[in-house]
Amino acid sequence: MADQAHRRAPTGQAQENPPGNNHAYEELRHLIIAPEQEELADIQERLDDRARRTQDVSSVVAEAIIMRRDQRGEPTLAQALAPSVQETLRESVRRDPHPLADALFPVMGPAIRKSISEALRGMLESFNQALEHSLSARGVQWRLEAFRTGKPFAEIVLMHSLLFRVEQVFLIHRHTGLALNHVVVRSVPTQDASMVAGMLSAIQQFVRDSFDSKKEESLDSLNVGELEVWIEEGPDAVLAAVIRGHAPADYRLTMKEALEEIQRRYSSALENFKGDATPFLSAEELLSRLLAAQHREPPQARKPRAALAAMAIILLVMVGWAAYSTYRLWEWRQFLHAVRGQPGIVVISYDREGGRYHIQGFKDPLAADPNALLAEAGLDPKSAEFDLAPYYSLDDAIVALRARQLLHPPEGVTLSENHGELRVEGTASPQWISLVQERARYIAGVTSVDTSRLHNSHLLQLDSAKSAIESTILLFPIGRAELEPGQGDSIVQTEKQVRDIVAQASRLGEQTTVELTGHSDSTGIEGTNMLLSQERADAIRAILIRGGVQAANLRTRGVGTTQPLRPEDTEENRRLNRSVTCRITFTPVSSGN
Amino acid sequence: MLQKKICMLGSFSVGKTSLVRRFVESIFSEAYHTSIGVKVDKKVVRVDDEDVTLVLWDIHGEDVYQKIRMSYLRGMSGYLLVVDGTRNPTLDDALALNERVIQEAGKVPAILVFNKSDLLDKWEIDPARESGLAEAGWNILRASAKTGDSVEKVFSQLAAAMLVE
Repeated sequence: MADQAHRRAPTGQAQENPPGNNHAYEELRHLIIAPEQEELADIQERLDDRARRTQDVSSVVAEAIIMRRDQRGEPTLAQALAPSVQETLRESVRRDPHPLADALFPVMGPAIRKSISEALRGMLESFNQALEHSLSARGVQWRLEAFRTGKPFAEIVLMHSLLFRVEQVFLIHRHTGLALNHVVVRSVPTQDASMVAGMLSAIQQFVRDSFDSKKEESLDSLNVGELEVWIEEGPDAVLAAVIRGHAPADYRLTMKEALEEIQRRYSSALENFKGDATPFLSAEELLSRLLAAQHREPPQARKPRAALAAMAIILLVMVGWAAYSTYRLWEWRQFLHAVRGQPGIVVISYDREGGRYHIQGFKDPLAADPNALLAEAGLDPKSAEFDLAPYYSLDDAIVALRARQLLHPPEGVTLSENHGELRVEGTASPQWISLVQERARYIAGVTSVDTSRLHNSHLLQLDSAKSAIESTILLFPIGRAELEPGQGDSIVQTEKQVRDIVAQASRLGEQTTVELTGHSDSTGIEGTNMLLSQERADAIRAILIRGGVQAANLRTRGVGTTQPLRPEDTEENRRLNRSVTCRITFTPVSSGN
Repeated sequence: MLQKKICMLGSFSVGKTSLVRRFVESIFSEAYHTSIGVKVDKKVVRVDDEDVTLVLWDIHGEDVYQKIRMSYLRGMSGYLLVVDGTRNPTLDDALALNERVIQEAGKVPAILVFNKSDLLDKWEIDPARESGLAEAGWNILRASAKTGDSVEKVFSQLAAAMLVE
């Protein structure tokens, strides 16, 4: 281009100026403006040449982006780039998803982990809150309130624990009052956004008209019970936030900023709005940021502690209950064991129904009362019901009891029973003894009767007299059958004793037999000794008969040296063996009498 | 979905509210009529296989106590001018009102609705006058809120007219 100008200049000039002057002028001109011309030409080329321009921009594009990013916190750059980046990503995935997947791989794991832990934390927090609210006195109060007002409990909790919550945000086209977008907190019931938006506009206009306020002033909040509606008007758009509770004043600023951003971003869409709200769908993210909330009590460390304490109490109650149940069960088992061990009671089965035990089985009429056993075990008599059929028990204790009932043993007699054998021990009148012998075998469960230790009380009365007589030894000289001199007193005494015992026994219905046994020492011949001992016994018999004793009560025998009273090692012992001793037996006179 | 603001206009007790009561979605109490003079309802109609949401501003009938607030007409895409076919003066009032509406909101699609078409024996409006109005460019429909006759048609015709605009 510089060359062209250089060449064109002489041809232009050649027609007007003389050749001599021309050359000098050309020279001068070249000297003065040639450098600028060259520079201009260079710049022109840079601008015209697409390749060079691209090269120039490429050298600064990164710095430019950085500079733009640093300028202000505004997201315009991001907004400008977003569609291209999205498109690029989409295209990249469409062509081959692997490179992007590979690139994202290192961040996917942490992101997923973070999201899971966030979800868990949220769950734990809401669990803590629910636990605390359901256990505290305040929680009970709120439950009552929910019951009284018919509102769901969750709403009552929210009402009391929230300072404020923005539940809905409407973006409204100012001119038509039509809803452009509407966001709402999950689980909040909503009405039709288009009607609400229309009505809000109508109210706005009504207020503006009615109170003749200046055009730029307008209704900026409404109160409806626990709800407030904050309205922020822009030139073309209106933002309305439905707030439960009382939002802080700076929330108004947040609304203003959002509205300004919307006015700016959607200025042409707002201006050309003809009823199609599609362009405003993308405002959702911006509106969602306005759905703020603040709780009355920020989550503190106290909460988990309260929850833990509550859980500990629940656990304690559960453990206590389990322990008590186990104890009750153990108590019941003990009782059942005791009942099963009870003679005369047979438990066949038991079951539990409606908190009561029902016991089936058999019971002897003589067995213990199970209800009394229940009371004895410290159990509620109403906790069990017995259904026991009567039967005859062959348990030893019951058979003994039955025998006792039937025989009425007198004092001093014990009855015991072992596997069908009834043992009667003690002292009783002969009449009762005969009654036992007659009846005992008819008692159910008794197969045999042992009365070997049952003593006749009458005979015992005679015992002392009997042993006095039996301890008397009547002595004889060697080889003779007459009493030793000096034995007169003894024989007189024995005579009297025998008469008395016979008379006494006779009164008690006993026949007395006095057996007189003659003894001899070992001196002399055995045959003679036998004879001698018989003679000695007979001698005493004669004396007693003379003394008034009936012959029928006396019996004699000689035993010689066969039953010595003493070993014959001394003279004195030998002397004692030359003697007569007495043995007394009684026999009942006759059962008929 | 396309939304359009439309207004229901007409004298007091010509049956505007009855006309919409059975045919639209409503969440607000009719007490709003007497308090702020308007109640907003909604009606979805289908025009050429497309659903159109009509946001219906049912404006309280004009009487000696209450004038229509013209600011309520702002941004409307069309309106229904409702007349009681059994009372001639309501037509006169409606036409006078229409002048003011055009002055305030400009010319938008409108339908002149002769309500109470079930009471033909008490009909007061002269057929000649009716045809005259039609010739003057009015889109006229006879309808009955009581029997439901032509009510759907009123809304769908207005919607169709607005979409053409």
